[in-house]
Amino acid sequence: MSETTAVSIRNLSKSFDGVEVLRDVDLVVKKGDVVTILGSSGSGKSTLLRCVNWLEQPDRGTITIAGQRIGVNDAGKPMSMRELAKVRARTGMVFQSFNLWPHLNVLHNVTEAPIHVLGKARSEAEAHAHELLEKVGMSHKTAAYPNTLSGGQKQRVAIARALAMRPEVMLFDEPTSALDPELVGEVLAVIKALSAEGYTMVIVTHEMTFARAVSDQVVFLDKGRIIESADPETFFTRPSTERVQKFLERNEG
Amino acid sequence: MNASAWSMLLEGAWVTLWISGVSIAIGVVAGLLLALVRLARIPIIDQILVLYISLARATPLVTLTLFIFLSAPNFGIQLDRNLAGILALTINTTAFNAEIWRSAFGNFSREQREAAMSMGMTPWVTFRRIMFPQLMITSLPGLVNEMSFLIKGSPAIAVIGIVDLTRVTNRISAVTYEPLPPILVACALYMAIIGCLVWLQRIAEHRANRLAE
Ligand SMILES: Nc1ncnc2c1ncn2[C@@H]1O[C@H](COP(=O)(O)OP(=O)(O)OP(=O)(O)O)[C@@H](O)[C@H]1O
Ligand SMILES: [Mg+2]
Repeated sequence: MSETTAVSIRNLSKSFDGVEVLRDVDLVVKKGDVVTILGSSGSGKSTLLRCVNWLEQPDRGTITIAGQRIGVNDAGKPMSMRELAKVRARTGMVFQSFNLWPHLNVLHNVTEAPIHVLGKARSEAEAHAHELLEKVGMSHKTAAYPNTLSGGQKQRVAIARALAMRPEVMLFDEPTSALDPELVGEVLAVIKALSAEGYTMVIVTHEMTFARAVSDQVVFLDKGRIIESADPETFFTRPSTERVQKFLERNEG
Repeated sequence: MNASAWSMLLEGAWVTLWISGVSIAIGVVAGLLLALVRLARIPIIDQILVLYISLARATPLVTLTLFIFLSAPNFGIQLDRNLAGILALTINTTAFNAEIWRSAFGNFSREQREAAMSMGMTPWVTFRRIMFPQLMITSLPGLVNEMSFLIKGSPAIAVIGIVDLTRVTNRISAVTYEPLPPILVACALYMAIIGCLVWLQRIAEHRANRLAE
């Protein structure tokens, strides 16, 4: 395990009701890298991402986050909820449907976990939250409640909320798929800015132009297997499998 | 009606109010605890709770009150009337509240829970900080509804000799031979109590709008 590895996934397999959704997936994400995961609907992209923070429990394989194994503790036993929560706190996840907490305003959505999980002082958490909300362009809405925000605004708050934990890796599951077309750009711009700042990110997306621009590595999932993994230039111009060529042709226009 | 009739009525209203109030307070919290225990689905305990809830919901309050008051001496317990009344109302309302809380838990957004988990919250922190504040607001209409049912059902405790707001009207008319005035006043007092609850519910609904996405 190298010092520079943020996430390492080895031999990951997962079935739902006897149907294998992920098969022997191997993926290493280096610190500071952006890896995008492409694939058609049902290929297992969400499941792969959700296994990384154990929202889904894999059947086989190991996942480590910054050197810390998730799901299995040092004694080789399944982790308790408390142990699991500790490792999850080191990952940040952004969901397709935002999943903000509606009873908390924007500021408190961002400070909730730093205060109640990391034990940060309120003043410190709020200072950090203001910084992050500034970064995602939402500092003018700190007192607003989620139901008054547009989808794009909600998603930017959700990104700030995840960043507030200072995670080792940010996981994005189709962050713009639930947005009206005119709101997609503002969210992608935020994610691009994060990549420029050196955040480690794993992104599931259907936005090809964005994936090409932002990625260090592109991974293609087909029926639960990684069938192609390359730098974006190679992936988009000289894919080695026919399956990916077809996929790119279909998603071009 | 003379002054003494008025003061008897107010005393009756007070008895209804405090006995129901204590039962409601215990019943709301106990219902929440039962719902939480049921969430854990502990084998035998779960079946016992299901049995309790269906029995308590099916038994008329009068019957339950009588049963508790009359059976207590068999267990060597000398129950005070008021205590027996509170016990009966509490047993009844707890069962209904447990179901109200449980359905609110069941309907809680999985997405919000997953967001909490992904941020490293333990189940307890998730419950305390994310679920409970919202469940309180979404459950309140059901809970208030049950509170007003309980208050309207509370005259059942008169069966063991507690002089509540309904029973006291009997006593007054036995002296004055005019049954109507005290009953009308009693009605107005019940309406005032329930009215306060409805007002509480309005405030809750106002806050609940925020939760609707
Ligand atoms: N909780 C679950 N129970 C049963 N089957 C599931 C569950 N979650 C996912 N699946 C199935 O696993 C397969 C992969 O699902 P997954 O959500 O990972 O695909 P995806 O690549 O994210 O698709 P999409 O692009 O539509 O989001 C699908 O066939 C799906 O129906
Ligand atoms: Mg998906």
